[in-house]
Amino acid sequence: MLCQGIKFLTLTAAQQQQTQQRGMATLKSISIRLKSVKNIQKITQSMKMVSAAKYNRAERDLKQAKPLGQGSKIFYEQAEVTPVEGDTNKLMVAVTSDRGLCGAVHTGISRNIRDTLLANASERENTKIVCIGEKSRAILQRLFAKNILFVATEVGRKPPTFNDAAKITIELMNSGYSFGSGKIIFNRFRSVVSYVIDELPLYSKQSVTSASKISLYDSLDNDVIQSYLEFSLASMLFYSMKEGACSEQSSRMTAMDNASKNAGEMIDSLTLTFNRTRQAVITRELIEIISGAAALE
Amino acid sequence: MLRWRQAGLNYINYSQISAKLVRHALKADLQADAEKRDQTNVKFVQWKDGKPLSK
Repeated sequence: MLCQGIKFLTLTAAQQQQTQQRGMATLKSISIRLKSVKNIQKITQSMKMVSAAKYNRAERDLKQAKPLGQGSKIFYEQAEVTPVEGDTNKLMVAVTSDRGLCGAVHTGISRNIRDTLLANASERENTKIVCIGEKSRAILQRLFAKNILFVATEVGRKPPTFNDAAKITIELMNSGYSFGSGKIIFNRFRSVVSYVIDELPLYSKQSVTSASKISLYDSLDNDVIQSYLEFSLASMLFYSMKEGACSEQSSRMTAMDNASKNAGEMIDSLTLTFNRTRQAVITRELIEIISGAAALE
Repeated sequence: MLRWRQAGLNYINYSQISAKLVRHALKADLQADAEKRDQTNVKFVQWKDGKPLSK
């Protein structure tokens, strides 16, 4: 049975070679290739259109979310909050999404975390990672599987809402992990063609209450600080997710635009070879006929 | 101590409930739009010792 199969295979392979030498099969294979490249181009073009629409919305949303994140950041800067000494527990939140095909958006974030953790062995021991989106999970689990606290999935299909950020915050607070300081690492959107990796600081309640310039802020009691920290964590997450979503869509737009362009170039060169081969086949057949006729005379 | 915190809520829960109430108070045509902002899609997978805990 197996022997027969092999025999059959070698037979067909030989046949194929024969037909290929005659130039008929290459014509067919080129046209199949051409068709598949055309289909790919259609897909990348429509993906570009979709992400362009999503990008427009994401940029609009981002404008509204900006004050939320910036406000919290400025609070930490003004109060000159520094992490409490002795508390070495750290947290890193990687803001990515589930979806690929958008250039180096997700790898940039993961590489940033990888570099900081690889540079310092003690940080590697004491840092926990929260992955927002499957993409950062897929990259970071290879090196730092033990550091991952939890993974938030189903991110990126729809624009992030504040409730999403609130849910992540609640999950983080319920995880029971107490950190002295931390970072949210995300892609900050700069323009349609550029984004930079940026980070927002996270601090524990203790470090906020012992901050040197906390007296700048009036009427702060324990409850207010506690509530504000909870809210600022959620709002910074929300802001960074919005920035991330916007950069992701814009980057996907450029990536898909390039892909369509490359597919177009491929189609051009394939059409050229296709026409050439077809012409060659016709010419050869004509020669065969003419020489056949000449032989009969 | 605030009442809602005594009841075991944190500020996020508290603000989520408040937001829900405000959305309910909107007029019907605006409410449909506001309901959309109320959705969540995020799901969580907990990890322990380098492996995801299966649900």
